[in-house]
Amino acid sequence: MPGVDNCLQEAMTIPGAVGASIVDYTTGFPIAMTGAAPNSDHEAAAAGTADVVQAATSRSLLVSAVPHDLLEDLIITTAGGYHLLRLVQTDFDSRLVLYVWLDRVHGNLAVARRRMQTLADELVAT
Amino acid sequence: MKPSKTAAPGRLLTQVAGEGRTGALVVGGHPGGTVYVIDGRVTQAESPAAPGVGELLTASGRLAGRTWQAALDAGTAQARVGRFLLDQGHLTQGELELCVLGAIYDAAYFALSPASAPVDFLEDATHWLGQIVAVDPAAVNRETRRRTRLLEEIFPDPRIDAAPVAPVPRPPRERITVTAPQWELLVHADGQRTPADLAQLLGRAGFATIQELRRLAAAGLLELPEVRKPQKDQPDFVRLERARATSVDVRRPVVAVPDDAVPAGTGTARAGPAPAAPPAPAAAGHRLARRKPGAKLPKDVAAAGPREEPAPDDVLLKRIRTALRALR
Repeated sequence: MPGVDNCLQEAMTIPGAVGASIVDYTTGFPIAMTGAAPNSDHEAAAAGTADVVQAATSRSLLVSAVPHDLLEDLIITTAGGYHLLRLVQTDFDSRLVLYVWLDRVHGNLAVARRRMQTLADELVAT
Repeated sequence: MKPSKTAAPGRLLTQVAGEGRTGALVVGGHPGGTVYVIDGRVTQAESPAAPGVGELLTASGRLAGRTWQAALDAGTAQARVGRFLLDQGHLTQGELELCVLGAIYDAAYFALSPASAPVDFLEDATHWLGQIVAVDPAAVNRETRRRTRLLEEIFPDPRIDAAPVAPVPRPPRERITVTAPQWELLVHADGQRTPADLAQLLGRAGFATIQELRRLAAAGLLELPEVRKPQKDQPDFVRLERARATSVDVRRPVVAVPDDAVPAGTGTARAGPAPAAPPAPAAAGHRLARRKPGAKLPKDVAAAGPREEPAPDDVLLKRIRTALRALR
């Protein structure tokens, strides 16, 4: 069964992955990280991802009438790459997001999105 | 290591980590906490203000109470409770690691954030969960400082973190927007529960709880704790809470308490030893007639139908309890 380190190593095998981390989005802290980060600063990147996730979840902006319409992931495109944020769903209170930074040239969004979904699910599921 | 001295817990952690030691850094004060290190890396942390791994897993329903208890029974002696849960298939490796990591940073914040506190280092003390993760102590210190700054930016009053949580009865604006966690806190706040109580009750991280409470305070939705300035020569004034919801005439002599107990309404309380159990009605002189078991009601009373019992004076009892706690 994969643990946190294993999950991040797997994330780095996503085509184009440059760096990955697991971030607590209420405080913006990376509880685990690997690879590179924008501006070589994992902690600053984590704080940024937390702000984005909080902005998306704290208002009912994007919630539809579907029951249990939870935010699943966020994709932000910059000149420097794709930043994918996948919320990790745990039964207990954890408030975590899996963040992967993809190179724009080698990264494939569709593939990455699906791989991250699998990784986030496998991390916590039996 | 010298026995209990006062120091900056964060600096002591750095020192202990630099020396690659194994043991438990115990931080006193309120709420205080304990940080466990193995070979200079942080492997566990606990604090009264931060729900532990067990509380997080059981309060959320992820583990049944008895499953957790069985793991404690089987694993505590050899410090392998975590291993037991994994081997028995109750939790995945990922879940346990994430839960422990969260709990470490949460408890470490409360243990390491004071500028100065009584600290002690217990050589070779190990935690019953066993070693699940190992974290760089410098990262823990950095994160603790960052969290302190985050809270200051939201609302710079640290009394919110420990005082019983009391929502304002009347909000300052026409429309209020709250997040789901804030709602949970408001709904479960009863004027008595502290942030630590609420975190345990809801199975949420202690820091996340006080973060939301500070936001609520910043939005004007929480009553701020009253400032008490104890005088040197005079006994403390004890501020009792205003009655909420139930309108009770506090002059109504429902409970006859002994003279030296805390009187209803604001007033001075003796700074001496607290009276033993004032809530028990010491109804001097009144003896209620006792019914012999099996006896039928006298005809006149039976005919009158069920009598209305006066409601127990919850508000008064709670005030007395709060006042007693304040004397501690």
